[in-house]
Amino acid sequence: MAVIEPKGHGQHAGMWVFPDATVMTQDMGEKTKAMPQPFTMALAVTGVLFFLGIVGFIARAIDDGFGEIAPWGYYMAIFSMVFMVTSGAPLVAVAFRFTKSHWRRPLSRVAELFAIVGILNLLMFIPLMFLLPSIGNPEGVVEGQMAVRRTIWFEGPIGSPHAWDLVGVAFLTITSLAILWLSAMPDMAECRFTATGFRRWLYNKLAGNWYGTKRQWNAQKAGLALLGAFYFMILVFIHFVISSDYAQSLIPGWKDSIFPVIYTISSLQMSLGAILVVLFIMRRWGGYEGYIGKSTFWSASKVLLGVTLLWVYHLFAFFITFWYGRLEVEQNIIKYLVVDTYAIIFLLNLIFSFAAPFAVLLWNPVRRSAWGPALAGLMVLFGGLMFNIRVFVGSANAAPGSDIYNLTFEHLPAPVYPDVWDVFMVVGGLGAAIFIYLAATKMLPLISLWEVKEGTLYQKWGKFMRGEYLILGKPE
Amino acid sequence: MAKSPILGLFESADHAADAGDALKAAGVPQADYDFLTDTPYPEGAFGERYESHRLYIFPFVGALIGLTVGILLTSMTQMAYPLVQGGKPILSLPPMAVVTYESTMLTAIIFTIIGIVFESRLPAFKEGLYDTRITEGYIGVLVNVDDADLTQTQTLLTQAGAIDVVRKAEKISA
Repeated sequence: MAVIEPKGHGQHAGMWVFPDATVMTQDMGEKTKAMPQPFTMALAVTGVLFFLGIVGFIARAIDDGFGEIAPWGYYMAIFSMVFMVTSGAPLVAVAFRFTKSHWRRPLSRVAELFAIVGILNLLMFIPLMFLLPSIGNPEGVVEGQMAVRRTIWFEGPIGSPHAWDLVGVAFLTITSLAILWLSAMPDMAECRFTATGFRRWLYNKLAGNWYGTKRQWNAQKAGLALLGAFYFMILVFIHFVISSDYAQSLIPGWKDSIFPVIYTISSLQMSLGAILVVLFIMRRWGGYEGYIGKSTFWSASKVLLGVTLLWVYHLFAFFITFWYGRLEVEQNIIKYLVVDTYAIIFLLNLIFSFAAPFAVLLWNPVRRSAWGPALAGLMVLFGGLMFNIRVFVGSANAAPGSDIYNLTFEHLPAPVYPDVWDVFMVVGGLGAAIFIYLAATKMLPLISLWEVKEGTLYQKWGKFMRGEYLILGKPE
Repeated sequence: MAKSPILGLFESADHAADAGDALKAAGVPQADYDFLTDTPYPEGAFGERYESHRLYIFPFVGALIGLTVGILLTSMTQMAYPLVQGGKPILSLPPMAVVTYESTMLTAIIFTIIGIVFESRLPAFKEGLYDTRITEGYIGVLVNVDDADLTQTQTLLTQAGAIDVVRKAEKISA
């Protein structure tokens, strides 16, 4: 695509781009098809990591089986890490589409493509379903223990929590895939004329009889709004379920209404961070500089800054409630997850989920750059990994065996360090997620064509008084 | 008399809107012509009629079904296994909320997806005429007219500024 000079004055130089809508479809078709060497290398490296992850998983299963959840703490952590990023990302596209933010247009597809990685989440969740201890105490009523451990399911219906958790994760994946399908349908319908081989077959199957009639655009708009609303509603629910069943309910006596909120906020923070990193790579090395202006980074960075502040506020709210509560169980939970057993991991979590990105995003010139928000995004991803290790490795190893039915959390276990299979599973989980995302970018255009084209209808560079500025149409 | 599709291609949205006006003036029913675009134009940009849809009914029906199933499933379980916990009543709402919420959402989502497929007319769409130049930003005005009126419609579209008028259906599926 012919690159048009980015527009903007002074400190806003290069902020806005105006891509040529007439050649966009063809250009994006070529970019989707292209396999440059760095891309192939990245695919190969992440493919090897993916393989190592499978090796680690098989080795862990042979060594420890699926009878106890404790040896699978790092597996839970990496599942949750990938889950938090991939489940939150489609909501980023949905939310900014709801608010009709024009700067979000190049970001939408990048965010929605994470839905394909959701399939990995679903597969990774199946072993976790079997690992979750039964709600009912197999020993019955024992001194100092409960007959039914504390969960959100009470004695709730057949299959709970295992089957209902799995169904929930499955439907979250299905809904995100439905959003991706509906959003990409116009683009697939366009690209099917120029695509060849598998892509042509795929586009023909998925785009159906889409021609871009008024009725179809209306149905698509309403469908995206409805599915987006449902996605938000089911996402917070599944986050609540996962954070309750796989973290809180595994530590006897941990009752905290703030933790599921921290989990969801962390997810949104990490997914926005991941999206910014992908956008930066696309713009810097992928040849997408004509589609992605700095305005996307600038605007998204403000949201990231807000979410980062929300994260630390909720963390403090969690901490201060337990600290002031001063019950033995509350003191022990703080010692275990914050100030003693996993103190170093907590410190890294705090630095990279709050202090460092806050310090980066505080500065206007950094927020207005492309690299600044992407760097902050990378930091929150690392901070998120620490969060997941702290919480899920901690939870899986807090109450081994039948101690999970204890009334209270009395004895603090030692921290659990990763062995070689844990390391394989962690790097393998990350590698698998990146591998699948990279593969997905070769199936669907990385830019939402219809949305960026729609943007060109409403945005132009024009004169006002002595200067030239972005002129924006707001039809709704 | 049998109707056939004819597609006029316009370089600008203004010309496409002019064609719409001309078709209206010629007495072509508004249900018989449509604007094909590669991006959603704002409502009424071509002077076209409002295209209503009933998509909102689908999730509503789905949610009602899911809600009913959820309430039945949880209440029947509680009745079948009457375990008293913490002195709470056998049939209490908070434990039912989790499963009922999940089943309500799941069926609402399934019905929404079905509704999108139905309302977008994805499986069976009567028009089969398309031109790939629409992907480059051209506007297509697709008209279904009696075979006897094809030539007259073609003239009308050309006079409105169509750069090309296509009659033959293009095969677009694999």
